[in-house]
Amino acid sequence: MSNLHEHEIKKPKVDLNYSSDKKPVHSDPSPEAKPLPKVTIDGKAYEFKPGDTIMQVAERYKIHEEIPRYCYHPGMPIAGTCRMCTVEVEKAPKLMTSCSTPAGDGMIVHTRSEKVLKSRTGVMEFLLTNHPLDCPVCDKAGECELQDYNFEYGPALSNFKEEKRVYDDATTKKLSNDVTLNMNRCVHCERCVRFTDDVTKTNDLVMVNRGWHKELEATTEAGLTNEYQGCLTDFCPVGALTWNDFRFKKRSWFLSKKPSLCDGCSKGCNIEVHSDADIVYRYVPIHNEMVNGHWMCDSGRNSYHSYMNPLRVTSPLMKHNGELHATSIETLLTEVKAQLKNASTVQIVIGTDATREEAALLKEKVPALIGKNVAVSYFNGTNGVTTAADDKKLDNLLKMKDLTPNTRGVEEQGLAALANGEISADVVIYFRSGRAGIPKMKADQKIILWGVWSLEEIKSLPSKNILAVIAGHATIEKAGSYKNADGIVQKFHPAIVHRGGALSAHQVVGVWQSLT
Amino acid sequence: MGTINISKKYTAREKAYLPAILIGMKITLKRFIEGFLFRKSFTIMYPEQKRTYSDRFRGMHFITVDPTKTENCTACFLCETICPADCIHIVADEREEENNPYGVKKEKKPVSFDIDALRCCFCGFCEEACPKDAIKLSGNYELAVSSREEAIYDLDHLKRNMNGRQEKI
Repeated sequence: MSNLHEHEIKKPKVDLNYSSDKKPVHSDPSPEAKPLPKVTIDGKAYEFKPGDTIMQVAERYKIHEEIPRYCYHPGMPIAGTCRMCTVEVEKAPKLMTSCSTPAGDGMIVHTRSEKVLKSRTGVMEFLLTNHPLDCPVCDKAGECELQDYNFEYGPALSNFKEEKRVYDDATTKKLSNDVTLNMNRCVHCERCVRFTDDVTKTNDLVMVNRGWHKELEATTEAGLTNEYQGCLTDFCPVGALTWNDFRFKKRSWFLSKKPSLCDGCSKGCNIEVHSDADIVYRYVPIHNEMVNGHWMCDSGRNSYHSYMNPLRVTSPLMKHNGELHATSIETLLTEVKAQLKNASTVQIVIGTDATREEAALLKEKVPALIGKNVAVSYFNGTNGVTTAADDKKLDNLLKMKDLTPNTRGVEEQGLAALANGEISADVVIYFRSGRAGIPKMKADQKIILWGVWSLEEIKSLPSKNILAVIAGHATIEKAGSYKNADGIVQKFHPAIVHRGGALSAHQVVGVWQSLT
Repeated sequence: MGTINISKKYTAREKAYLPAILIGMKITLKRFIEGFLFRKSFTIMYPEQKRTYSDRFRGMHFITVDPTKTENCTACFLCETICPADCIHIVADEREEENNPYGVKKEKKPVSFDIDALRCCFCGFCEEACPKDAIKLSGNYELAVSSREEAIYDLDHLKRNMNGRQEKI
């Protein structure tokens, strides 16, 4: 008896690590001094930090790929409601939910015993009693956790012979302009409710009624209002919440998935570009604890539209008889060279959406090619941001004031910001990758545009004297690196192949050099 | 290197050749007598007279429609996915609410549904994969066209009134 009491006192006081983005909380003064405790999972011992749950240990060591789960998400608090992640713990009378059971020293866990598999089959059968068989029209099909886990654990047949439950009012309900709810498909994992409660802290969603009639509803009449609605549709394990922009556009198994960076703001969220035949269909965030966690904002998610814009300039354009005409890069650069030679003052303006490599190239190689004293400066022009010092967080999660991805990286080159945001020289080369703003200019200013431009943008420019447009690559089409708002340098590779006539900055400089 | 000899030994009857020639001549003579003396025909006058094929014959595709002439296809892309010849091309979108009395059952529709009959190998996998029995193969084998473009059939053509192979006309 006294032994047990001693054990109780010695037990270190440890809080549960609710989500993976929190470090383990040690109330023990010297955790390093002791060897780490070990838990045995499927016959093998694994070290863990006190406070880890069984799920987190299994996740870290990738035991059997993963323990199946619906309600657990590493970025959100633990609910333990779906019962899919149950495992067998020796000496425990019942199966334990691995997402909410803290691992203990010397604990012996079986994740694939007969008892566990039988339980998962039962859970799957219950989840499928009311799930409609509409995978052919459901956008989640192909990346659906219900499909995957049912294939792996589920029963082939159901004992449910009765009529399925149908929510008449919520079969196709628009929760907002961006998200559609189909309540019939919902498995009540409540990830979405916990996301709005604990991640965005907007409390947009709530489950009303109980049991059979449990239904997801928006708390206000305006519906969903938070800026991270796309994340709801990412982590929804079934097709209950779907993203209208992607809804019915493409089946998920046709998409090729390549990692890249979002260039919508100075945060630099890590994304996966989902494309088919080099046409982008959506951006999906990928987990990076240092930058964006698991999330990504809606404006960043929609930012691919500007690169897939049919009016984007994808071949070199040159002014001829007062109008812009498509031409070859050699003709264009020969003309540009002549114009630059005649100009009394030349200025290069680098948009803060250029990669660090492009900024270095424009600062060092291009002035040498022009052969004159050229003023080089950078320009941001989004949301009233001039330098990186003006940048600030707009909410508690990811959104930043600066809407260009590389202000810090361009500043690193030792350049000065464009004075008053106004271009002044005779001929100005403005390099921009589709995100930086438009500087102030006079109506007859001679300008050479370089990078990602659309015809709408060119038409709306104050200057009507555009000499040439050198079409360039967008972030998802080029390689390079950005330095984000927190000073983290992130490299990226092309996610899709550019199918138009645009050239990378290095290719253009290469052609320019071959002409001289 | 081991070599396996698979050539068989000929029998004396086979080596003589003559019995085989006589068997062949007998068939030729039989067909000659049938055709020449008894006027039995082995060909048909094709465009006027048509050959009936087996019910299992796989001809040109069609898409089934419901009584309101709405296609049963929900643009699930399963036929496009399984097609080994890559001849089906679908573009999907949401059906407008005013034209959709079926609600969630037909909320997704094919905006365009093209079958390139020149690429098609008539394997019938699309028919098997279809969860809505929307795409079917008919008994129609008359697929001659005068240009390649004409062999790409669109949704309006595929929705024409057709009978399936198993259904009697």
